[in-house]
Amino acid sequence: MGRSERFGRPLLMGGALAIGLYLLLPSLVIVPMALTRSQLIQFPPEWISIHAFTDYLGDPQWIASTLVSLKVALLATVIACLAGSSAAIALQGRRFRGQAIVVGVILSPIVVPLIVLALADYLFFVQLRFIAAWIRIGLAHSLLVTPYVFVTVQASLAGLDPALARSARSLGARPVSVLRHVTWPAIRPGVLAGAIFAFAVSFDEVVIALFLQSPEATTLPVRMFTSIQYDLTPKIAAIASLMLGLAALALAAQGLVALRRKQPQSS
Amino acid sequence: MVAMSTAEGAISSRQRRRLPADRLFLLLPIAVLYGLLLVAPIAFIVETSFSAGLDHYRGVIETPLLWRVIENTVVISATTTFVALILAYAYAAALWRAKPVLRVVLLSLVLLPFWTGVLVKNFAWAALLQDNGVILDLLRAVGFDTGGLSLLHNRFAVIIGMVHYVLPYAVFPIYATLIAIDWRLVRAAQSLGASFPRAVWNVILPLSLPGVLAAGLLVFIVSTGFFITPIILGSPRDMMIANLVDFYAHQIVDFGGAAALAMLVIASVSVLVIAYQRVPKEGQYGTL
Amino acid sequence: MLMRRAIPEGIATERTAGRRLELIGVCKRYESGPEVVKDVSFALEPGEFLTLLGPSGSGKTTTLMMVAGFELPSAGAIRVGDVDVSTLSADRRNFGVVFQGYALFPHMTVQENVAFAMRMRNRPRAECTRRAREMLDKVGLADFADRKPRALSGGQQQRVALARALVFEPDALLLDEPLGALDRRLREAMQIEIKELQKRIGISILFVTHDQDEAMMMSDRIAVMNKGRIVQIGSPAEVYQHPHSAFIASFLGETNLIPRGDGSVSVRPERIRFLKPGESADHSIDGTVIDGTFLGRQVRFNVSALDRRIVVSTADPAVYARVAPGDSVQLGWNAEDAQTLAAED
Repeated sequence: MGRSERFGRPLLMGGALAIGLYLLLPSLVIVPMALTRSQLIQFPPEWISIHAFTDYLGDPQWIASTLVSLKVALLATVIACLAGSSAAIALQGRRFRGQAIVVGVILSPIVVPLIVLALADYLFFVQLRFIAAWIRIGLAHSLLVTPYVFVTVQASLAGLDPALARSARSLGARPVSVLRHVTWPAIRPGVLAGAIFAFAVSFDEVVIALFLQSPEATTLPVRMFTSIQYDLTPKIAAIASLMLGLAALALAAQGLVALRRKQPQSS
Repeated sequence: MVAMSTAEGAISSRQRRRLPADRLFLLLPIAVLYGLLLVAPIAFIVETSFSAGLDHYRGVIETPLLWRVIENTVVISATTTFVALILAYAYAAALWRAKPVLRVVLLSLVLLPFWTGVLVKNFAWAALLQDNGVILDLLRAVGFDTGGLSLLHNRFAVIIGMVHYVLPYAVFPIYATLIAIDWRLVRAAQSLGASFPRAVWNVILPLSLPGVLAAGLLVFIVSTGFFITPIILGSPRDMMIANLVDFYAHQIVDFGGAAALAMLVIASVSVLVIAYQRVPKEGQYGTL
Repeated sequence: MLMRRAIPEGIATERTAGRRLELIGVCKRYESGPEVVKDVSFALEPGEFLTLLGPSGSGKTTTLMMVAGFELPSAGAIRVGDVDVSTLSADRRNFGVVFQGYALFPHMTVQENVAFAMRMRNRPRAECTRRAREMLDKVGLADFADRKPRALSGGQQQRVALARALVFEPDALLLDEPLGALDRRLREAMQIEIKELQKRIGISILFVTHDQDEAMMMSDRIAVMNKGRIVQIGSPAEVYQHPHSAFIASFLGETNLIPRGDGSVSVRPERIRFLKPGESADHSIDGTVIDGTFLGRQVRFNVSALDRRIVVSTADPAVYARVAPGDSVQLGWNAEDAQTLAAED
């Protein structure tokens, strides 16, 4: 081990940790900012108070927005799970000629620029005024997050031994039963992981929600966005902390699902 | 015995003929979803953009604002890509060579931002960079005279926010390429007379280049689409293409122009994505 | 480009005969763990083929890595000629190394691979190319100069690895189980090739393997290692015929450990014969045949004697016809074929 190799190492690790700090910085300051007593954003906070959180919880508009976001995310996640899982099952195993193209199309929403989707959805839903505003956002989001569910379910299907389905069929099981008893238990962790991620993405989404917003359907991020442009208040920090907490929970949940997947699958 | 096998044979041949239909049936939900929410809306964009023949396009292309915004987008995206690649390479290299405990720490640090929404991130940066925010307070506490220095609502803040967002996207392709490199290659180079820095230059760098290229393109593509960050962290002089579409749609209320712009965006991104698909990523050489 | 410098110290630039490599009391321990290499001493004479032979975990690869300069000895010294190189970094030592898997640079052509060492010595481009081509000629790969390594077969890659390591005329070649991943036929072919190359060029070779057939076939001397120590050094014949311990006797080829007095002796299966009635030998025992197997070039018998299984092998197929399972036999061998064994290490 030469000298430069021996010195280079701690230097590299130190640099990486500094970059890691840069990555962590926003998350670090949000919670303390939410605990300030004053009405302005302050760091470090002078005095701990949870007034920011109570302000948020007591504000009917913000609570309404939170509920909208929850409804939207739930709708988007449910649709995405249905569409994404069934597509993954449909494409399981088989290698047919157009497969790459089909998969490419399924994954395309990730690549389409968000602003294009937002404008497109706006122009589209303008024609369909009878659909409730929050449902419009939910539907638009479902397209956005379906690829994630597809990917995670596909991943868990990749671990499924095709011999299991075949043996079930040779024993006389009809396709529906195969789905229920062989496929579903196998994809359950994938669906769960995908659902968690889909929910998180939908909950955080701003651009599409912005274009499709209406007075009764303003998601939480949209309201935060408008609010941030005018004023940085502790209330926003409080909401941001809660969202951060949710993100941490989601990350932990995903980790648990991944760990569970490593256990041997029960027949 | 014979009866059994013919029954089995009958079932499986029935299954075999029916399977394709089953599979197609399963593809129905996603087909409906994509048809309604991807194809139809995009079709509306196409239609709206051509609703006045080529006038919308002409109108958009002939405004100087478009060209300023394109320049902004390219410059900001390029700068973000450049900075992000340097930081990402260092980070990926550290991830590669780190001992297990440190690697877990570094991995968590780079994965966590994936889960925090863009709004939370931007809000935090705004609060950090504002005039009475943490960073300037810290500098003042250490003795720097910050005078009229403003860290927010300018290009600097936008870059900081964007690099922060794209860094995880840049780290992973580079990391994937690095871990495919056999460390014995470095040892071989050393045994042949290369000092460690020379071994890095002659072996590691060339072999990691595909990953860097892939990461760069990816980051560039993602950067061009930014909307929130320029608004919260930037000034009107940092307007990017997504903001311009929003401007046309909500400020000027010219949906034809907005649609035309959107079509231009689709075209440009498609070119970039095709370029990205063609870049050989890790595994071009494999381990030897 | 960035770091051109004068020829680094410690690297020989002229063709010397290859200097003598010597290890003196070399030890290696990792971070307050157990010692993986204990007090290893030996010398590699110029032009000699020396093999470090031992099971996995015996410390042979670690020893090689210390010679190469990738590991620092915890104690002891490594000398090349008069120079103590123990603390010299690998790039300043003058050894050619061939790794398991060859470690050819995948992004360079075969010629660029071979020319690499000359480039690192800051030789002019023309010289690098010339030397590389000469070397490739010597190993018969001149036509492959512009190919990438992955386009070559395993045997060809091996030759490129050798050419690359020899182009700068090192003091010795260090090979770390280079033939491990090859199938048997290719392996034997490569063994012959390496041996011939060594004779032709006259280079010293330090070879690491766990395969005793390979060691015996290629080496001038074998250093048998076990648990971090060298337990015996000698020519293949010496080590095979006169092993010092039961471990060495059973590691190199097959042997029978027959108790005698307080200790035991090692008698190779091929040195035991079935005594005909009336025939006598220096040593003999009675036994019953368990089974016999015809293996083509030899016939093997398992015989139960002295409460243990004795293996007898012969190249004479007539014996196979004569001796059958269940027979009572007398086994005999000459005194010089019974090797007294030292106490177990």
